[in-house]
This record gives sequence, C-alpha cells and structure tokens, in this order.
Amino acid sequence: MTPPVAGSRLRRILALIPWILTHPGVTISDLAHRFDVRESELESDLALLPMCGLPPYTADRLIDVWVGDDGAVSIRLAEYFERPLRLTPSEGVALLAAGRALLAVPGSDPRGPLATALDKLEAALGARGALSIDVGGSNFLDRLTDATAAGEQLEIDYYSFARDEMTTRVVDPLRVFHALGAWYLAAYCHRADGERLFRVDRVRAVRSTGEPAPPHPSAGDDDLVDLVYRPDPSDPRVRLRLRPDAAWVAENLPTEDAKPRADGGWDVVLAVSGAAFLERLLLRLGPSATVVGPPAARAARADAARRVLARYGR
Amino acid sequence: MGPREWSGGRAVSERLERLVNLTATLLDTRRPLTLEEIAARLEPSYPEDKVARRRAFSRDKETLRDLGVPILTSAIEGFSTEIGYRIRPEDYYLPDPGLSAEERAALHVAVTAVRLDGGEAQEGLRKLGGVEGTGAPALAALAVTDGLAELFDAVARRRVVEFEYRGDERRLEPYGVVHRFGHWYVVGRDQDKDAPRAFRIDRFDGPSRSGPDGAFEPPAGFDPSEGLRSDPMTYGDDRPVEARVLVDAARAAWVVDELGDNAVVARREDGAVVVQLAVVNREAFRAFVVGLLEHAEVLAPPDLRSDLIDWLRAVAGTPA
Repeated sequence: MTPPVAGSRLRRILALIPWILTHPGVTISDLAHRFDVRESELESDLALLPMCGLPPYTADRLIDVWVGDDGAVSIRLAEYFERPLRLTPSEGVALLAAGRALLAVPGSDPRGPLATALDKLEAALGARGALSIDVGGSNFLDRLTDATAAGEQLEIDYYSFARDEMTTRVVDPLRVFHALGAWYLAAYCHRADGERLFRVDRVRAVRSTGEPAPPHPSAGDDDLVDLVYRPDPSDPRVRLRLRPDAAWVAENLPTEDAKPRADGGWDVVLAVSGAAFLERLLLRLGPSATVVGPPAARAARADAARRVLARYGR
Repeated sequence: MGPREWSGGRAVSERLERLVNLTATLLDTRRPLTLEEIAARLEPSYPEDKVARRRAFSRDKETLRDLGVPILTSAIEGFSTEIGYRIRPEDYYLPDPGLSAEERAALHVAVTAVRLDGGEAQEGLRKLGGVEGTGAPALAALAVTDGLAELFDAVARRRVVEFEYRGDERRLEPYGVVHRFGHWYVVGRDQDKDAPRAFRIDRFDGPSRSGPDGAFEPPAGFDPSEGLRSDPMTYGDDRPVEARVLVDAARAAWVVDELGDNAVVARREDGAVVVQLAVVNREAFRAFVVGLLEHAEVLAPPDLRSDLIDWLRAVAGTPA
C-alpha cells in the first residue's frame, strides 16, 4: 500500500521545483496560493529538497534551496527537473472537459483567454479537437441567468415533468447551474413557499413581475449533483426489483438504498417526486422491473398502461 | 535551509526523499540502470536484504507510475539478461504549452466553475503552474466515467481500442470523446462495420484494451460532436424505420423543442402535432413514447404500433 500522503506530496514537489526554477525569487506566500497549500506545508516541501539530488549526494549534487528574508525562493542544481511531469490522461481530460464545458456555456467568449488556453493545451497533449462538450442551451437560459444576477423576481410557466402538469409560479431566482446533463434554476418559489429546483428546458415562459427578488438564505452548496439528487423527505418511496438490463436505474436515478443482486440485478428504493415520474419509469422498464411495494405503486403501473392502451382503442 | 522534522515523521520524509532521488537518478541517467546499480547509488538506501529491497523498489516504482512517471523497462543483454530502468526526459517532460498568466487564470476559473469528481483537473493545473487569480463559484458539474481517460489517451495516441459493448466485441478507431445529455461517448470508425459509430462509455461491459500508437489517421477536420447524432433515438443498430407519432397539444411544444421543427409533418387544429422520426433503436423509441404517457400515440409503422400495444398489455397484465 502506498501512503497517499507520499504520492500527493511528491506530485506537488515535482510541480513546485520547475516553477521555482523558472521563476526565481517567487515568494513563499505566492507559492502557497499557487499550489493551494498552507505556507507551513510548503516550507516542509522546501526543507526536503536540500536532501535530494543525484549520487553521490555531495554538496555539488544536492539541490540548493535559497530562501531570502523577504520570503523569496530560488533553487539551483535541479536542472533535470526543469519541466513538470507530463499531464496524465486523467488530468488532461479533466482540464479540457472543465474548460470546454465552460466555453460551451452561452455567453462565453469563444476567442477569449480560455479558448486560447484550451487550444494550446490540446496541442501540447497531441489531442487537437479530441474532446467536445455539449452542455445544451435552452430558450430561457440567458434570461434566467440575467435575472438571477440582477435579483429580478419572475413569473414562470413551468411544465412539471414528474407530475405531468403545467403551472404558473412566482419565483425569486437564486442560482442557475448545470448538472447531470441539464440546466437548472434554483429559486424560491412563492407557490410552494420554499426553495425549488426547475429544469430550464421545461420553463415555457418567463415574465418579469416588476419587483426585485427579496433576499433568501440560500443553499450556497457547491455539490451541484447533490442539489439535484436531494429527494424531498415527504416524497413517497417505492421499492423495485430490477433485472440486470435495468441496472441503469440504480446507476442513474437517485436511489436511496441500492443493493446488487447475485444475478446482476438490483434491489432499490426510489423517492417518487411525482406520479407521472413513476408511471413513465415503470412503463419504460416493463418486464425488467417488479414493484415490490407499496401495492399502490403496482396499481399505478397497471393503471398507466391501461390509460395509454385506451389511446389505441384497446 | 537545514533539514527539519514535521508531522509526517521521519519514515514518510525518508521515503519522499528516496522517491525524489529515484526520479532524479532515472531521469539523469543516459542508460538503463539495474536494480543493483540503483540500490548501490541511491540515498536514502534500500534495505540490504534482497527480497526486502526488491519489494521496496517495486512499491516505489508503483507510486511513481501511479503519478504518471513513465519508467521505461528494458532488457540489458550481458553475461545474463537483466532488467534495466530509466526515465527518458522526452517521456517525462510536459511540453510547454506556453500559457500566459491570463490563460492560466481562465483555466483556474474553469476548473472551479466546472466541477468534476476526483480533483484531477486541479492536479493538472498545478503542473501547468498552479492557481492564478481567484476562482469562480460552481456553475456546472460533469460526471467522469470510468474508462474515459484511457479512451481519451487512445484518441490522442491514435490507438485502436477493443471492448465489449452489450455483449458484442467492438474494434474502434477512436476519433474523439464527447459529453452530451450528461453522458460520455466515444466516437470513431467501427473497423468491423466499416462505419462511423458512437458508444456510451458507461455502457461498456468492461475496460477497453488498446493497441499500438499511431494505428490510424482520423479524417481531417473531424468534429467529434458531429459524430454523435443529436438524438439518442437515432442511435443504435436496428434497421432504420420512419415512425410517425401523434402528440397532443398539451405536450406538443415540448416535443417540438426536443426534436426540432423539422420533425413536424402535420399540425392539427387542436394544437396537436404529428412528428416523424428515424428509429434505429426501438428501446429508446419506446422510452420516448411512453414518456409522453397518454398524450401520444404511435401512428406508423404498424409493427412499431403493435410492438407498443403488446408491451403495454404485458405491463397492464391484460391478455392479448
């Protein structure tokens, strides 16, 4: 087993040395900010270096670290570390994905510093044009983003997919974000009298109420996926047994209790945010899912199938 | 500056020193070094005992490889064949992308605004010179799928990949990776089908295997996003059929948004629309239609219509 501390510190040290080599006189405080560590940790890293170098580890072969009274750092005798270690494929793909995603957000400057940085990075990775990100865009994305920034209260027509109904509500926008392949508006909803999440692509109309949005203590949560996946405690729960070909439900939906089965299937508990959500899911899964309980969910499944069959005159 | 003690303790710092020195030694050498040669030079030294020494060296090698340090292994022909180790600087060194401070700051904004699991973007940013300026609040979260990095690497190195996909063995010349609808896809040329194909990476049956570098040349100016058709329903290997679906007024606007105006072949007075779509994936088509519940009806072709009726009957528990 590798103690993770050795790996992560080594990674930092191998990035630190080339930066100092090419920027002699950089200060400890700048380095701590740049490499996102406490100054004390950075000093520990620097303290290690004079013990490092090449055989036979005589003074002329050990790394020479210089720290001035003003905190300015210089390094000598470490020319073999003049360049940082190559990006791993994981690092490369993560950097490009983050950058391309932000660049794809409507309103980004397609010729700004982010665009040129990504082009240079792709060239250095030998991966020009190898990665593409589509974050989608919706009719009202710009409008909602602007209203959020301006603190503008809105009235929206919203199609609730989970309940399969159209509603009109007054909302105070809190933030707009992208997660799990879709754009969301988090807003204080006056109709629900609480904070709610709205899929931007299901917003059908936006009107200004002419009022400023009053401030709300909002979840400044940075875990966006968690925001989307947070089930309402009052939502009913349904227990499903899934065949292996329905395993995507366990992977892609916010299951609360997912247990793999020996045959490759799953036993899961799902929070049901609306009747239509459950009906759709069960109609789609068909024989690949069995409703373990409650009985009402079993009845809803058969009822939905009959309603759709009625369209076909059956 | 002199040596200091810190919380990690002497054992950790000795190991770190040895890892830095091992990297330096292997990077500095012009010829592969045997473990004997490495052990004779390196400080802090490896254990005297041969078994313990080999174990300690293997552990160090693994730590370095986990970090992405490219340690080259080669056979040294001599009195008896031995294994030698070195790091070629051209393999180790990051080619300088020549980023300006402004560009580094823009990347910093990107990796703080767009959250990916794992923190690999932050580690990558460190190698590029670390954090510049202030970041941004979280704006987007992207999933990272197992196998994505390996496929991206195969794209960059132009390696053919082989993998199992829904029970089929596939051989693909990967031209790019694409993120769409919250999922990662790899697009390229399927060698057996001799046709462009896209595959959802999280649907692979297992890890992919990749062949030698430089095995193909992607078409000039290839745009990976164009390799991915915009609609998951047009996505599969079923024989393509044109289907017509009647959608009630209540859901018409939403469906037209999803499929585009071109899909509309008729508009009825009550606001309902008839849309036409090419179905190459019956399962995805069925999911789309039942997603509309009783607000939609498959009009044609007859076999898709009867497929759906049979499906719904089974779910309803009504005998045919």
